[in-house]
Amino acid sequence: MKQKIIFLVLLAFLFSSFSIADDFSDAMFKAKKNLNSAINKNDEKALIKVRGEFERILQLKKDTWLVYYFISYTDYSIATTYMKDQVKDKIKKYNESAIEMINKSIEINSDFCDSYVLVMNLQFNRWMYEQDKMNDIIASSDLAAEKAKKLDPDNPRYHLTLGVSSYYTPEMFGGGVDKALESLNKSFDLFKTRKEKEEYYPDWGKEMVYGFLVLSYIKRDKEGDLAKAKEYLDKGNEAFPESGFLKGYVQKQYDEKVKDNK
Amino acid sequence: MKIFFITVFLFFIIGFSYSQIKDSTETKSVKISGYIKGEKEKPIEGANLVIEGTIDGSTSDNVGYFEFETERTGKRNLIVTAIDYSEKKIEIELTQGKDLQLNINLSKAIYTTDEITVTASSFTSGENSKVTLTPLEIVRIPGADADLYRAITTFPGSNQVDEGSRIAVRGGEPDEVLTILDQASLYNPFVFDNDNNMSSFSTVNPWGLKGINFSSGGFSAKFGNVLSAVLDLQTFDVPKSKAMFIILGLANAGISGVYANREGNFGATFSAGQVFLKPFLLINHSDAEYNPTPTASSLGGTLSYKLSKTGFIKLYADYNSDNIGIKSTSPTFDGFYSGKSKVFFTNLALSVTPTSVSLLNVSVSSSLFNRKFNYGIIDNNSDDIYGKIRSDFSMPITSKIDIGMGAEYEYSGYKSDGIYPMYFYNIALTAPKFSYSTNKNTGRFGAYAESRIRPHDNFYIIAGIRTDYHTLSQNFNFDPRLSVVYRLSKHSFLKGATGIYHQYATLQDYSLSFNNNLKPQQAIHYILGYEYNRDNDFILRIESYYKKYSNLVSNSTYGYLYGSDGEGFAKGADVFFKVRFKPKFNGWISYSYTDSKRKQYSTGSLQSSNYDITHNVSVVGTYNITDFLFAGITYHISTGKPYTPVNSSIFDSTQSAYIPLYAPFNSDRYPTYTRVDVNAQYVFSFFGKFAIVFLALNNILDNKNLYAYTYNSNYSQKIAIRSGNYRTIYFGIGFQL
Repeated sequence: MKQKIIFLVLLAFLFSSFSIADDFSDAMFKAKKNLNSAINKNDEKALIKVRGEFERILQLKKDTWLVYYFISYTDYSIATTYMKDQVKDKIKKYNESAIEMINKSIEINSDFCDSYVLVMNLQFNRWMYEQDKMNDIIASSDLAAEKAKKLDPDNPRYHLTLGVSSYYTPEMFGGGVDKALESLNKSFDLFKTRKEKEEYYPDWGKEMVYGFLVLSYIKRDKEGDLAKAKEYLDKGNEAFPESGFLKGYVQKQYDEKVKDNK
Repeated sequence: MKIFFITVFLFFIIGFSYSQIKDSTETKSVKISGYIKGEKEKPIEGANLVIEGTIDGSTSDNVGYFEFETERTGKRNLIVTAIDYSEKKIEIELTQGKDLQLNINLSKAIYTTDEITVTASSFTSGENSKVTLTPLEIVRIPGADADLYRAITTFPGSNQVDEGSRIAVRGGEPDEVLTILDQASLYNPFVFDNDNNMSSFSTVNPWGLKGINFSSGGFSAKFGNVLSAVLDLQTFDVPKSKAMFIILGLANAGISGVYANREGNFGATFSAGQVFLKPFLLINHSDAEYNPTPTASSLGGTLSYKLSKTGFIKLYADYNSDNIGIKSTSPTFDGFYSGKSKVFFTNLALSVTPTSVSLLNVSVSSSLFNRKFNYGIIDNNSDDIYGKIRSDFSMPITSKIDIGMGAEYEYSGYKSDGIYPMYFYNIALTAPKFSYSTNKNTGRFGAYAESRIRPHDNFYIIAGIRTDYHTLSQNFNFDPRLSVVYRLSKHSFLKGATGIYHQYATLQDYSLSFNNNLKPQQAIHYILGYEYNRDNDFILRIESYYKKYSNLVSNSTYGYLYGSDGEGFAKGADVFFKVRFKPKFNGWISYSYTDSKRKQYSTGSLQSSNYDITHNVSVVGTYNITDFLFAGITYHISTGKPYTPVNSSIFDSTQSAYIPLYAPFNSDRYPTYTRVDVNAQYVFSFFGKFAIVFLALNNILDNKNLYAYTYNSNYSQKIAIRSGNYRTIYFGIGFQL
């Protein structure tokens, strides 16, 4: 008798929890979809709207660390849209907000590898407006890289970030295109088998791997590199036909290189 | 039956919850729309609105407009947020079918304390968002030789002492400047200090500092026993990375390292260095004769352990020594000045957060300094011993009021044994002499309380009081202090400060006093200034000040013994203008006007103080030629320093030496001081590791600045002693291991 009552009470609670979980999953899934679309279009206004969506999901008070992660990632993406025109005050505003948000996420859940990968990217962005804090940027970035590696050494976004960092860092400072290709190829392989825990978990980076592999091969330009660049560009465009990064930037770089080599 | 009712009841609850959800989808929705604006009715784009506890809401567009529909009804809270603005919660009443129009105004988020607490007369560096200079800028200042103190002399109001690292501020004496390192008093952070015609160098590594706050007046009640200025330094808590760096220069070599464990809760740093001037002197011209050639050694490091997310314990230790012999001429002796010193400093610091918003820092420090020097008949060996325990506590009381309080006890001991000439004008090796020893010590208890109040978002007040008790003289002092900052606009501020400052005389002075009857020396500061600071890229600061001194050490009452009837004043204006065009150019101009007069020691009446340097201009510029090649130039010009000339002399046949007859104290000045320094750095890869080569050309125009005047044996001929800083070239390489 008592057991039956407990069973029924539990059933009632389960019912209500499922309904919140469904609201949360649906809202997260929808916001994430809108985020990907806005990133592909490099649409700052759409990104700002998506940021609001994630902010509102915080009201559901479920997995807030993940919601903060996505707010941070959205802020990072907004900051990135201003990089082309070097609008430094906007880059700073959104990058600093992204750092604040990811710190909130880490404060709640310090075991999520992707949070540290994002920190690495955000620290990298600080170069745009705080070159004078070189020591702090390097130290914070190294610390985040160490944590990310410890938590999930096979995270493809971790290797992608290392690759992008090596791509932009001159060889004399420990970077270079060969090092970049090593990390990017590893990331490419890891993405093949990667499956995220939930559909609304972070899964970005695949098209970036294609893009930076193309850019790295163009930059190295050894014999056969241009053909490899073409191969990855075609595969990337096929897998991500909506990607503004591949179509808008990488394709242009490739075309210019081909033109120069003629 | 009972089961049936309970089951029905539970299903009723479940059903009711579900029907609530279902109902809400079927009821008529309410449209909420309107505009969000900020200061001066400026539309806010990207503001987020959400009904509390739901995901119903919207984001404002580029004209601040928003609209969304909801099926919720009744009294609800609408939360409005936007980056850089304060969150707003509005209570709304939602009625089915009745649309709601709202015009919402958001106010800018309150500026963080960091942004506004840069008070009058402060120059900061480190992680603060309103820093005046960054550590990178400090090490790149031409002529500063990567020395923090020398870098500070490019700020208005501060002067180099004998072209070295000691600084004199706003007409005060160098010993009126106190250096604090993580709560500890750092009394001897120099090598080659007070040595004849030799520039001192500081032993503080700017890269090891997370915060630098230099205040040339009007400073907080936290700081006691100092009259003119405070250099407050904070070292990094726990290192974050691992690295090792070697530097090899024409006059020095050093190695430094930093270690952090994987968990990030333990870290250590070390540094060791050696100064050897032989190669430098071989390449650069110098009229000076050395025996021995100046050398200096240093060894130091830290051990840090993180006790919690915010708490840590850190041990800092540092040892430095130097040795110098330099030929010097005086009317009665022509020979070598020999000097040696060694200092060992240690500080154990603990930082904890008793609650989530309060901070408690406790430290125990000690310093042992030994100095030996001899010149002619003068031979001296002295020891300075300091020990200090200090505690500071701070916490916010409300969102607008913070309080801070602290206490300290400092022990000072001074011991000196020496041989001195019987007659000051005869220091020949055969001159009559006497021995003198002294051994004095004292304790000083200090305590302060301070409140940081923000009555308005743009108005900031720091009000404090401190008291000190000096055990040797059995004197108390009470020092009320006040500092205000008013933000006129986002980037401009009006700043003012006033307060009473005390500093007890040195133990050397007490040993020559009448019955230890020396009152604490006093200065009252009045400062008023304006600052425009646009994100550290454009700074204009204009400040005027007046300092009134009393109870200065003087021997006009007790003859040769010291009393406290000295007095004086310093008044002037400082202008600082800095521009930074990222990423290429960075430069600043400092100008100071100073008028400083004192009756102190044997001056008799009010006379120009030793650092009454009327006009002082520094121009600094650094330029990034490429991403890997940087260059800079510094130009410095100032009114010559005052000195006391000898008018004539009388022959003392018993001593076979002339007695100089001095003109009034500091009644003449050295010629105008000018100097131009340039430097360059090139960054490259050295076996795949980061490396840098650097080149410095100091005093490139070879200006003949004077260090002092000496005289021939009967004082009929004045002989200029040129500063040891000739045109010099210095180069070196630094690389990562």
